[in-house]
Amino acid sequence: MARSIYRDRKYKDVPYEVKLDLFNQVKQDIRWKDFMKGCFECGVCVGACPTARFCDFSPRVITQTMSREDVDTFYELMNDMIWDCSQCFSSTRCPRKNSPGGIVTIMREVAVKNGLESAKDALKTYSRIIYKVMSTGTQVAPDMLQPDFFPDWGPNVKVVAENLDVWRRAIPPDTLHTTELAWDVSDKTKFQLYMIFKLTGNLELIEQVDEGIYDILGETIEELMDEYGVEADEVENILEEN
Amino acid sequence: MSDNPILVIGGGPAGLAAAKGIADLGRKAVLVEKEEYLGGTPIKEKYAALTPDFRDAEEAMGEMIKAVTDDGNVEVITNSTVTSVEGSAGNMKVSVQNGGSGKTIDVSSVIVSTGFDHFDPGEETQVYGYYEYDDVITLTDAEKMLKEHKFVKPSSGEAPESVCFIQCVGSRDRQIGNQWCSKVCCGIASKDAMEIKQILPDAKVFVFYIDLRAYGCWEDDLYWKAQEEYKVNYIKGIVTEITKQGDKLIVKGEDTTMGRPMEIPMDVVVLSTGMEPSEGTKEMAGVFNLPLESHGYIGTIGGPLNTVETSVPGVFVAGASTGPADLEDSVSMGGNAAMKACAFAMKN
Repeated sequence: MARSIYRDRKYKDVPYEVKLDLFNQVKQDIRWKDFMKGCFECGVCVGACPTARFCDFSPRVITQTMSREDVDTFYELMNDMIWDCSQCFSSTRCPRKNSPGGIVTIMREVAVKNGLESAKDALKTYSRIIYKVMSTGTQVAPDMLQPDFFPDWGPNVKVVAENLDVWRRAIPPDTLHTTELAWDVSDKTKFQLYMIFKLTGNLELIEQVDEGIYDILGETIEELMDEYGVEADEVENILEEN
Repeated sequence: MSDNPILVIGGGPAGLAAAKGIADLGRKAVLVEKEEYLGGTPIKEKYAALTPDFRDAEEAMGEMIKAVTDDGNVEVITNSTVTSVEGSAGNMKVSVQNGGSGKTIDVSSVIVSTGFDHFDPGEETQVYGYYEYDDVITLTDAEKMLKEHKFVKPSSGEAPESVCFIQCVGSRDRQIGNQWCSKVCCGIASKDAMEIKQILPDAKVFVFYIDLRAYGCWEDDLYWKAQEEYKVNYIKGIVTEITKQGDKLIVKGEDTTMGRPMEIPMDVVVLSTGMEPSEGTKEMAGVFNLPLESHGYIGTIGGPLNTVETSVPGVFVAGASTGPADLEDSVSMGGNAAMKACAFAMKN
């Protein structure tokens, strides 16, 4: 059973105990009992899964592996398959009331918390978005997708950026109305966001997987603190005063 | 109307239900049993607990037996077999042989409930090494251990770390000529797997299957329960062969849903051996001239709507002599056969 389901295993193997520890972290999640009942491998989730149509991803394999408590295969999935899920939760139609998408959520969180290389790789492309969301609370606006800043997103970024207005007209609802507001966030909001991410442990999580973003987020808030002439431990007071 | 008693052949669950049914309807029954005790296969093979309700087999069967032996309308003849019959509908003279002595009984109708035998896994599926390896056992061997509230590696007496069940041994196999599903083994294996986990919570328990046939309420009462609460590992794929490596048995096959071959070391392998018509069933088919259906069980004439009537007037069947049957089937057919045999006696 230890035999890999991947022909070209891309990650480094670790001792069984390390895998078991990660596995137990997943099982100890408060949502686990609601998401994982037992799998009879019927495949209804794969039929419902949009990702499975386009790549080698199977919510069934994830669910049956966890149902079987197959720790070796679990570790393989942690290093590969879980990052292909689009988290649409179509797989929730499971007749056993499992939630393959939910299981993936927990597995990803454990991968991030433990700073797995696969988590770092998977999140690399999203570093600018993570930074944007965590520093301003708003997403990347369509006009920010410029080829200079997103060279790793492929040639379509350039194609779309050059005629953004035309492309965006193909989408029925308004999508360009927030471009100017995207950076326009009050200082109070920035402080609040920082405190939320700090107090909920999200900053620590980011430090695990992307030290670069962690540093930039710290620098940004420090600049702001300088502007207000406050120290880090005074931020809470500022929020209360305002 | 014949006042002669109704003959019931075989004192297992179906025969006991039939004899009690006849007595409750106010008629005399004669129950002939080959062994020296009543209770049939659950007692003979020392089942631990009944499927699906986990009731102690000896206790549950004991109640059925007592209800029959306490009933003045039932004459129980053990250590005996039926060897021949003369006459016809309504007035049959049946010879009953007990060791060296024999006697003839006049009966009005007959119920054959001679059951099944477990498939002998050493007979034709040598690939599983039943007679070669001590740690390859059958469901009934497992039941015998569980009845003693233990489960060990027979070769060493130690607690196994890994146990697997192989389903459909002797069933669903054109190579050996048994094309039927034996119906109960998926449920029984699931029940046994849970009992093993109760005794050995740390043991890894696997069930290798072709199709998991826990029909009706056995689905969640046994299968889902074993998987969800006891973490029994169900793997779709049947074991191709068993070899030995050191102290371990190596089971080789395919993990079909994962799409990869597998070779897993096991401490104990349990073969889920299916049902075959028993020797007694074949003999009674000969004595009463009962046509067999295509699988070799005693044939009935009503298809799915009459499960107990044979083509010989006055001769009825119940239980696993007609095909693979669970306990529910067997006792239900026993009651149905009792009613039809009494009705036949009243009309003839």
